[in-house]
Amino acid sequence: MTGKTKVGFKLSAIAGAAALLLTACGGAGVDAGSTASAASTGAPCGSYTIAMHAWVGYTASAQVLTNVGKSLGCDIKQVKLDEAKTSYDAMESGTVDLIVEDWGGGRWKDWVDRGAVVDLGSDGNVGQIGMYVPKWMAEKYPDITDAANLNKYADLFKTPESKGKGAWLEGPPGYTTIGEKLISANKLNYTAINVGSEQALIDAFTKGTENKTPVIGYWWTPHYLLAKLGLVRVNFPKSTWTDAAKADGTTDYPASDLEKLASKKLATSGDAFSKLVTNWKWTNDDQNAVASDIDGGMTPEAAAQKWIDAHADVVASWTK
Amino acid sequence: MSSIVEQELIPEAKKTIPRGWIFAGIIVVWAIIGKIMNGKYTLAVNLADQTKMSASINDWANHLGQNRQSNPFFVYFITPVREFISGLVDFIRSVISVPLAHSSIPMLGWLGIFAVIGFIVFITSNFRQSLFAMAMIFSVGALGLWTQSMDSLALVLTAAILSLIIGIPVGIWAGLSDRGLAVVTPILDLAQILPTLVYLAPVALFFLIGPAAATIATMIYTIPISIRLTAFGIRGVPKSPVEASVSMGTTKWQLLRHVQLPMASRTIVLGINQTTLAALSFAVIATLIGAPGLGDPVVQALVLRNVGDGAVAGLAVVLIAIMFDRSTSATLKKQGIYVPPSEKAIRNRRIGIGIFGAITVAAIVVSRQFKWAAFFPESINVSKPIADFADKFTSGAVDHFGFATTGLNTLITETILNPLESLLTGTPWFITSLAIVAISFLLGGARSAIVTTILLLAIVSTGLWQDTMVTFTQTIVATLLTMIIGVILGVWIGRSERADKVLRPFLDAGQVLPAFVYLIPMLGFFGPSRFTGIATGIIYSIPIVVKIVGQGIREVPVNMNEAAISAGSTKWQQITKVQLPAAKNSLLLATNQGLIFVLAVIVIGGFVGSGGLGYLVLVGQSKVEMTGKGLVAGLAILLLGVMIDRIAQYTVRRNSAPKQ
Repeated sequence: MTGKTKVGFKLSAIAGAAALLLTACGGAGVDAGSTASAASTGAPCGSYTIAMHAWVGYTASAQVLTNVGKSLGCDIKQVKLDEAKTSYDAMESGTVDLIVEDWGGGRWKDWVDRGAVVDLGSDGNVGQIGMYVPKWMAEKYPDITDAANLNKYADLFKTPESKGKGAWLEGPPGYTTIGEKLISANKLNYTAINVGSEQALIDAFTKGTENKTPVIGYWWTPHYLLAKLGLVRVNFPKSTWTDAAKADGTTDYPASDLEKLASKKLATSGDAFSKLVTNWKWTNDDQNAVASDIDGGMTPEAAAQKWIDAHADVVASWTK
Repeated sequence: MSSIVEQELIPEAKKTIPRGWIFAGIIVVWAIIGKIMNGKYTLAVNLADQTKMSASINDWANHLGQNRQSNPFFVYFITPVREFISGLVDFIRSVISVPLAHSSIPMLGWLGIFAVIGFIVFITSNFRQSLFAMAMIFSVGALGLWTQSMDSLALVLTAAILSLIIGIPVGIWAGLSDRGLAVVTPILDLAQILPTLVYLAPVALFFLIGPAAATIATMIYTIPISIRLTAFGIRGVPKSPVEASVSMGTTKWQLLRHVQLPMASRTIVLGINQTTLAALSFAVIATLIGAPGLGDPVVQALVLRNVGDGAVAGLAVVLIAIMFDRSTSATLKKQGIYVPPSEKAIRNRRIGIGIFGAITVAAIVVSRQFKWAAFFPESINVSKPIADFADKFTSGAVDHFGFATTGLNTLITETILNPLESLLTGTPWFITSLAIVAISFLLGGARSAIVTTILLLAIVSTGLWQDTMVTFTQTIVATLLTMIIGVILGVWIGRSERADKVLRPFLDAGQVLPAFVYLIPMLGFFGPSRFTGIATGIIYSIPIVVKIVGQGIREVPVNMNEAAISAGSTKWQQITKVQLPAAKNSLLLATNQGLIFVLAVIVIGGFVGSGGLGYLVLVGQSKVEMTGKGLVAGLAILLLGVMIDRIAQYTVRRNSAPKQ
C-alpha cells in the first residue's frame, strides 16, 4: 500500500511541477510564426469549424473555402457530420459553424426561427436529384426515360436483394430521398434498396456502365460522375414540392438552390471568414472541376488549391 | 460428471417425442400457413410513413428542441451537465490535441505528450512497458493520425475517468450491500445487451451533437463495466480476513479502506483496464454523434469505401488499445507478485524516476519551443504503404475470389436469408408471433414463452414489426453461421495448444477492433447487401464464441476423453460424442453471447444496405421528420435484444447439464 501512495504523491508532485513550468513558459516559441502570419493579412480572423457532409461535391466546396479562409489567417477546421438535423443541432451547441450546401428546401426553418442557424442564401449551385440509368440502357430502351414505362423493365433490375421486383437503388440515409413514395404513388413494381453510401451508388453505376448490367438508382447534379458516365435521367411528372417530408410521391424531385447555413457566431462576427462565406458563390461546373480532381486521386487540399490558383480573380471577388 | 454420460445413455426419445421433431413440426406448420396467407396482416410500413408511436415521439422531440432554452430541466440540469463535460473534454484536448487560442499548438507538442505517456507508464509499471507504450504512440504518429489519435485519447480519458469516478463507488456499494447488488444487477444486465447504436440518438436528443454527447454515450457503455468489476472484486475478497478484522473491532470504513479495497485492487485495476479499452472501442461509433478523433477517418473511409484508409485508422485504434492493455496489465502483474524490494532496487528506481522525470520536463519545454518537437514530423509517415497494401490485398482478393464471394453471398441470400425473411415478414404477424412463442416454449419452458409473448406484443405496438423481423432474420442467420464456424474453431483451439497459439492473437485483435473497421473490406467483398452486415456480425462475434467453446472443450475432464480413446473411438467420435456433449453448457453460453454480439453489429449493417431497424436508426439521426421513427427503431432493437437474451437465458437454465 505504501508503495502506491508514494507513486501517487510523486505523480501529483510532477504534475504540479509540469503545470508550473507550462505557465512559466508562457508564449511558447512555436506560436510566434502563426501570430505573425495572421497579423500580416490585417483584420484578425476567428476560429471556425465546417460541417463536412459525405458527398464529394460538398468536400470540394468546403475545401476551397477552407483553403481561402486559411490564407486569410483564419483558423478553419473540418468535422465530418451528417446532413440536416445532426448539423443544425451541432450549430446550436456551438460545435460547427458552417454548412456549405444544404439541399433541404427549408427543413432548417425551426432552427432559423429560434436563432440557432442563419440562412446565408444560395451558394450558386443548383441541385437536382433524380432517378438515373446508365447511358447504354437509355440507348437500348429509349422509352425507359419516361417513368410511366418503368414497370415494363422491372424484371431487368431483379437481384437477390430485391424481393422478386426491380431493385431501385435509393440514396444514402442522410440524403433527401422519396424513393418509396415515388414507387408506391406511381404503382411501380420495384423495391427501394438502401445501399447506404454515395460510394455504393458510384460502384453500382460504374459497374452497370462497364459491364452493361441494368441498374437504376438515385443520383444528383452537381456531380462529376454524371458527365463522366453520361447517366440519363428517368423523368417523373414535374415536381410540385419543396419539402421532401410533405411530398406525396406522384412527382419528381425539384431543382433547388443549394443554401449556405451558418452559425450565429459566424454570421454575425463580420471578420474575414464571415465576409468570405457571405460573398462566396460559384457554379456547378466549378464544383465539378474540383470534385473530379479529388476523385482522380488528388487530395482535397491540392484539388482546391489548383482551382483557387486558376481562378484568382473569382477568389479575389469573394474576399473583397 | 457421470450424470452427463448417463444422460447420453438414456436418450430423451424414450420419455417424449424428441424436441427436434416438434421444432420441425412448428416450422412446417408455420411455413404452410405462411404460404397460404402470404402478404396478409404483415404490418408493413413504408420508410417515410409514421407509426402512431413514431409520430407522437417526433412531436415530443421537436417540442424538446424548441424548449431547450426555457425548459427548467434543460436549463438547470441537461445544459450544465453538457457544459461541464464539454469543458472537461475541451480542457484535455487543449492539453494534447487542439491548439490553444492564438496559438498553433496545444499545451503540449508531440514530443512532450510522447514523454509524458512514457513517464506515466514507467511510474505505474516498468521501463520496458514504458518503452513499449512510447513505441506504440510513436507508431500512431507515423500512421499520420497524430491529431486524431490525441482527440480520441482525450475523449477516452474523459469518459474513462468519469466512468470510474461514478462506477467505482457504485461498484463498492453493490459489493458491500446485497440491496445495492439487487438494485444494480438488472441495470447492468440490460446495459450488457443494449446495442451501442441504440442510445446514440436519445443521448444526442438531450445533449446535442458534440464531444459532450459522445462522452456521455461512451460512459453509458463503460460505467456498467467498472461497476461490475469493482463489485465483483469486493465480493471476491475471502471471508476470513474480513471476519478477523471485524472481530478486532475495525469500523466499516477501516475495513473497506485497509482490507477489502486493497485485496480487491487487482480486480479493480482490471476494471480500469476494461473500462478504458471499452471506451476506446466506442470512440469510433461515437463519431456519429460528434466525437472528434479516429472515428472520423474510419467513417469517411466507409462512405468512400476506401479500404486502405480504413485499415490505417483501424490499425491506429488497435495500437492505442494494445498500449492501454499492456501498460495496465503490467500494473496488474506488478501488484500480483509482491516481493519486498531491496534497498538498492528502491534507490535505483528513485534515480530512474528522477532521470525520466527530468527528461520528460525537458521534452515538454522543447515541444513548446521548437517546431520539430511540436508537430509530429510529416516526413515520418508510413500510412501510404500500409493503405496501399490493404487496398491491393482486398482488391486482389476481390479480383481473384470475387466469383466466390459473390457466389457465397447469393447462395446464403437465396437459400437461407430470403426464405427465412419471407417466412418471418410475409406471414401474418400473429402466426409468426405464435410460432416464435412456441419455439421459445420448446427451448426455455413456460416462463420463457410468457416473457416472449409480452415482448413480441411490445414490438408490435411500436409499429415496426416488419423492420424488427428483418433484423431478427439477419441476426438468426448470422448467429447460425457464427456457431458453425465458431464451434469448429473452438474445438480446434480446445484440442490443440498450437492452434490456440496461432488463433489467439487474431481473436484478441478482433475483440478490440471496432466493427466499423472491417465493415469496409466486407463491403468490398460483398457489395451493399444484407450479407455484408451478416458477415460483419459474424466476424465481430466469432472471437467470443471461439473463446467460450475452446474453454469448454478444454475443461472436459481428460479421463472422459481417454476412456473414449481406449474404447476405440475415432477423433470425430471423440469430438461429437464426448467433448461437445460434455461442453454443452459452454455451447449454450456461446450461443447466447453470439446472438447478443451479432445483434449489436448487425444493426450497423444499415450503413451498407442491410435495411431493417439499423437503417431506421441511421435515417432518424439525419432527417428531422424521421427522428421519432429512429428513436422507436432503437426501442424495437432493445426489445428484440431483450427477447433474444431472455429466450437464451431460460434455455441455458433449463438445459444446463447439472454440475457434478
